[in-house]
Amino acid sequence: GFNSTFCTSDILQVQLSFPPPRLFDRYRDLAPQLVPLDYTDQPDVRLPYELIGSMPELKDNPFRQRIAEVFSEDGEGNMTLDDFLDMFSVLSEMAPRDLKAYYAFKIYDFNNDDFLCKSDLEKTLNKLTRNELTEDEVRMVCEKVIDEADLDNDGRLSLEDFQHMIVRAPDFLSTFHIRI
Amino acid sequence: MSFDDKKHIRGQVLALKSFKKSRHLNCFADCSKTVSLAFRRCGANMTLAKQTLELWRGTMKEVGGKFGTGVLSYFKFLKWLLMFNIFSFLVNFGFITIPQLIYHPTPDIPAGVSFKGLEILTGAGYFSHTVMYYGGYSNKTQGTGGRSEYNMQLAYFFTVAAYMVLCGAALIYSMASSFRKKYVLADSGLGGAWQLLCSWDFSVTNEKAVRQRKNNLRIQLKESLSEKVQVALLPLTERLKHYGVFLGTWLLSTGMALGCGASVYFLFSGSLLEEAATLLLPFVVSLINLVVPLFYSLFKKIEHYSNPRMQVYAIIVRNVILKMSILGILCYYWMKDVANTFSCWESIVGQALYRLVIMDFLFIMLGSFFGEFLSNVIGTKCIQSLGVPEFDVARNVLDLIYAQTLAWIGIYFSPLLPVIQIIKFFILFYLKKVSLTQNCQPPRRAGRAAQMQTIFIAILFFPSFVGALSMVAYTVWTLPPSDKCGPFRGLNTTFSAIQIWMDDLNRVDAFQWTVWIYQHVIRSEIFYFLVSLIILVFIYIFRQITQGRQLLIILLRQQIVNVSSSELSGPTCLVHQSCCVRSGCVYVMMLLKCRSNIFS
Repeated sequence: GFNSTFCTSDILQVQLSFPPPRLFDRYRDLAPQLVPLDYTDQPDVRLPYELIGSMPELKDNPFRQRIAEVFSEDGEGNMTLDDFLDMFSVLSEMAPRDLKAYYAFKIYDFNNDDFLCKSDLEKTLNKLTRNELTEDEVRMVCEKVIDEADLDNDGRLSLEDFQHMIVRAPDFLSTFHIRI
Repeated sequence: MSFDDKKHIRGQVLALKSFKKSRHLNCFADCSKTVSLAFRRCGANMTLAKQTLELWRGTMKEVGGKFGTGVLSYFKFLKWLLMFNIFSFLVNFGFITIPQLIYHPTPDIPAGVSFKGLEILTGAGYFSHTVMYYGGYSNKTQGTGGRSEYNMQLAYFFTVAAYMVLCGAALIYSMASSFRKKYVLADSGLGGAWQLLCSWDFSVTNEKAVRQRKNNLRIQLKESLSEKVQVALLPLTERLKHYGVFLGTWLLSTGMALGCGASVYFLFSGSLLEEAATLLLPFVVSLINLVVPLFYSLFKKIEHYSNPRMQVYAIIVRNVILKMSILGILCYYWMKDVANTFSCWESIVGQALYRLVIMDFLFIMLGSFFGEFLSNVIGTKCIQSLGVPEFDVARNVLDLIYAQTLAWIGIYFSPLLPVIQIIKFFILFYLKKVSLTQNCQPPRRAGRAAQMQTIFIAILFFPSFVGALSMVAYTVWTLPPSDKCGPFRGLNTTFSAIQIWMDDLNRVDAFQWTVWIYQHVIRSEIFYFLVSLIILVFIYIFRQITQGRQLLIILLRQQIVNVSSSELSGPTCLVHQSCCVRSGCVYVMMLLKCRSNIFS
């Protein structure tokens, strides 16, 4: 199924048989016994989420689980080399703003319904403040966020609303960035 | 969009690419594929080598991980300024110093002057006769008929001019691109939405730092929740009082700046030339630069700005006025008095600049000690309420800008001053990093790092670079060079060297076009008048376009609200779904392109 589509592709063959050395080394270092050195026959290797989440760049990030889920194929956080490369290319300095905004939106969208509704915002807030705000305060912050950012007045933030907010946040390109 | 859809689209995109490639399957294609693969491997190895050689990469990652992007911007700025100085050193050393050293390998030092240790601090004595300063360069056209000729005068002039022009171009370019990227639609305040969704710094990797940031975010959210309707219109008397306080503090700070400048001038118009006493001027200047900003920060207690950002801007502007007025007074003193009094006055000015640079470096180290180390000790052991100090990015960046201004002014008077600057910045990087990690905590407020970056580059351009450039330009254009030393001795002004060269070229037929350009473009006022006029017209047109677009944005926003409030749910779902699928395709393709760009 999935692998056969790529067997005929030259591009991916070049990319996977010769992925950038440093990133491939980081991927392999997570589980040297699982990841082969030679990727020319596209082995189906998937590193479990626990290994990805233990990387020093991710282990203290409050959103590491969501990041791994968004970029992994199976949606559970188990990443192939392809997913790993995708993740770090989106989180690098050179990814375009729109791409970053798209993936940031998906990370904050906990229920995967393409909208940031109130429950998504509440979960984001709890991850960012260690559950130390009271329920009232959480509710008020989420209402304030929706008030400010919801352009089409439907009570939840769509991707366009989010992107519009990102345009007004020039720091976003440098904060949504993981150095590796 | 589900993962199956995503896989499907990816497969389609890659199959399309491979179909295009698999159409020419023959021996030639195989060869070219192998060759291109070899090239890509080679290119990737070179990129890897370049990245490992990239200066301070690991340190900056560590600092960014613990303290965030705001503090990291200081170190990036330092690295950027270091690059300017390295370029300046290479250019000056290559085009000016090396020819001088080839033709006069040993400097002609008068008898009785030898190297004592004090020269490193004062720059005078032994150094004043070497290639360190303007005076150490000869004015002859080097080389005999056998070897090729090298005109030292033209080389000196054009090297300095080319460096300044390139610096100016680099500054304007980075200022413009920074402004475009980061100042878009600057809005009024930090809203809750911004704080929640856009301000989390993903590059912070240290557990303690993450915990601290979460605390800070919680405190900020609580603050913004508890802010009731802001400063409702205060009664007239209150507002008058506020404005009165503002006026008073601004007058006081400007007055202090000008007063310091005047006192520097009057103290030293009777200048002392004994070697150790010459250190007094730079000492006083650096002391003023260290102490007076502390007074300015006291004003914070009595002023009440509505916006904490205005507070930071006010401090920055005051510090800039102070530093630039002192430098301005010093330049005036050098241009007016020193130029008329001493023979070989350019070397004297070069030495004064050298001393200022060294003393500034010593005082930055002192400032680091008092500002960070002692504050840390006091905050943790003596007065617990103060807490661990934060790293003051604004103050440190302004110190860097001041140091770079000195280097730019000194380009003409002391071609090897960039060496000192390079050493200084190198040591400063490690010093600040150690001080930061030992003594400071990450900043409490998620500041607008990007906008501050733009402002710092703007301050670096004007008044720092423009001021240095105007001083060098005034020297070159108007002041008579000294008679007894330097590459321009005997001429009326430095610029006469170009005049003489143009006269020489006039005699050769092949270069008439150069002479024509010189006479009718560079020396004619009409040309500059026309260019300014055209630029003003363009600025006016672009401003009208911008205003039109702002109006359009307002109208479109209103339209979004109107459309969404008047539509039915049925068609919306389908429209929304198809929009999602389409935009999903776009993003998958963007991701593939991004990956192949970054990794190849």
